[in-house]
Amino acid sequence: MRADRPYLTVLLWTLLSLLTLFPIYWLFVISVKPAVELFTTPSVLLDTVYWNNYVKVLNDSTLRRYMYNSIVISSGNALLVTTLAFMACYALSRFDLAGKENIFFWTITNRMAPAAVFLLPFFLLFTQVFVIGDWKLYDTKIGMILLYCTFNLPFAIWTLRPTIDAIPKELDEAATVDGASTWQVIREVIFPLARPGLAVTLILTWVFAWNEFLLAATLTSFNARTITTGLSEYVTTTGTEWGTMASIAIITLVPALIVFSVVQRQIVAGLTFGAVKE
Amino acid sequence: MAGVSVRNVVKRYGSVQVIHGVDVEIADGEFVILVGPSGCGKSTLLRMIAGLEAISDGEIAIGGKVVNDVAPKDRDIAMVFQNYALYPHKNVADNMGFSLKIKGRPRAEIDAKVRKAAEILDLTKLLDRFPRQLSGGQRQRVAMGRAIVRDPQVFLFDEPLSNLDAKLRVAMRVEIKELHQRLGTTIVYVTHDQIEAMTMADKIVVMRDGHVEQVGAPLDLYDNPGNVFVAGFIGSPAMNFIKGRIDARDGGQIFVSDAGAVLPVSGVNAESGRPVVYGIRPEHIDLDGDGLPATVSVLEPTGSETQIFARIGEDPIDAVVKARLKVRPGEEIRLRIDPSRVHIFDRQSSARL
Repeated sequence: MRADRPYLTVLLWTLLSLLTLFPIYWLFVISVKPAVELFTTPSVLLDTVYWNNYVKVLNDSTLRRYMYNSIVISSGNALLVTTLAFMACYALSRFDLAGKENIFFWTITNRMAPAAVFLLPFFLLFTQVFVIGDWKLYDTKIGMILLYCTFNLPFAIWTLRPTIDAIPKELDEAATVDGASTWQVIREVIFPLARPGLAVTLILTWVFAWNEFLLAATLTSFNARTITTGLSEYVTTTGTEWGTMASIAIITLVPALIVFSVVQRQIVAGLTFGAVKE
Repeated sequence: MAGVSVRNVVKRYGSVQVIHGVDVEIADGEFVILVGPSGCGKSTLLRMIAGLEAISDGEIAIGGKVVNDVAPKDRDIAMVFQNYALYPHKNVADNMGFSLKIKGRPRAEIDAKVRKAAEILDLTKLLDRFPRQLSGGQRQRVAMGRAIVRDPQVFLFDEPLSNLDAKLRVAMRVEIKELHQRLGTTIVYVTHDQIEAMTMADKIVVMRDGHVEQVGAPLDLYDNPGNVFVAGFIGSPAMNFIKGRIDARDGGQIFVSDAGAVLPVSGVNAESGRPVVYGIRPEHIDLDGDGLPATVSVLEPTGSETQIFARIGEDPIDAVVKARLKVRPGEEIRLRIDPSRVHIFDRQSSARL
């Protein structure tokens, strides 16, 4: 950034901001226009504001259920994955496990094939194998949370490992000599210092589950259907309800924005400065 | 307070043995320093006393109780690490009080003990600061404060001063020594710096390659080093070593170097012709008009004294004298070696004769 030409900097950032924000603005414009206007010559200006799309969507109990499912599945998945990854990374970082680097690499192998490859096996598992009496894993929120775990956990382990590795081992040892048990070391020393890494992992895994479409569309029908798959229900044989879809898309941004704003405060770099002599 | 016994302790990493049957007795209240070059096993030995490394063989007892299978937290020890290992997310008071918090002590008791330790170490004004807001010396004091608060049976220090600059190191040396005099707690201290060892210890354990070379009081090691390694390691500048043999001349004994220089000895317990190593400390060589002729290579004046790097014949020799010299490299001076201060070592075994 050049201090002698501030207007250039401002211009550059304005352009970049517009590039990012314009699609969202356009989406919003579409969401507040009646269908008839969208099929004539749609204007990008916010000349009319028609809230009926939102009223329709918010009054739709099915959509409310999809939204609730998405929040439960994404949040449940993110919390479970981050907790498990934290434990796994601590073990991989601190204990002398036989072949731990091989285990570490092996965890990522299920991300090496496209998710569609696993679609049929998962469908069979969910409908034929994981069945107890009348209950089956298909179309359940717990089913989707566990399913996303299998995809997110390796990714989370790979994301979080450098954070745990970067926490000096001497801190564990100092706490151990100070009388802490392994759990106390994790709770009192490792967890507070790993918070930025944990926050990143939490956000990324939450977003993955929030946005996921393919598996949710195949392995849910109604009870556990998520908002992304619900969105596709507005593409029908008789036409696409652009206004409704746009308003749902805007509404789906809200929880994501809330999660981001809450978690991003934890992402503070340089927290470990001063722990040990560099 | 308690003594520490290290009995025939062995450490192996797989098939590699790094500590070979070490025995050290540390009395109650004693300040013992483990010293040696990098990789000699001193830190490993300290970590075994702390319980941070498992013992492959032998036993370690603290206060008469064998602690081989006792967890670090139950050994009643406190450790100060080389890189401080302060908890960066806790302020100074919480860092110092952490062990008591873990024990579930009441808040009032923790505060009182932290304040007392902070007063001892002059940290009272820093209690609300975080480690990142402290200088190196302050961090080191906090690390010591954390150890003091625990009131342990034994303090373990793992090269605590090696990250500090020279001036601060001298100041901290004095502080640690004062602390020991004040608290009287047993201290086991690891360093590679022989000056730290000499100035602070009641007893020094010199280690090399996983073996104990010699154990003794600092001046005892300085005056009576058991072998060439200890003689060279203890004392600064290091002792001069010249290879040669003992010879008889004029009814007495002399030393003749391999390069032909003749140097004085007295009361050597070795027969003529025996290959030996001649050892003399730089500070036991002085300027004397009747001394041996030596050619100056380099002079290093420090103000209080002058270090002379010279050659007697072909043999290099290092001397430290109080006088300020006005000679140039290449010029001749005369040096007198005090024969009563000469150490003669067997060339084969390197043991002192």
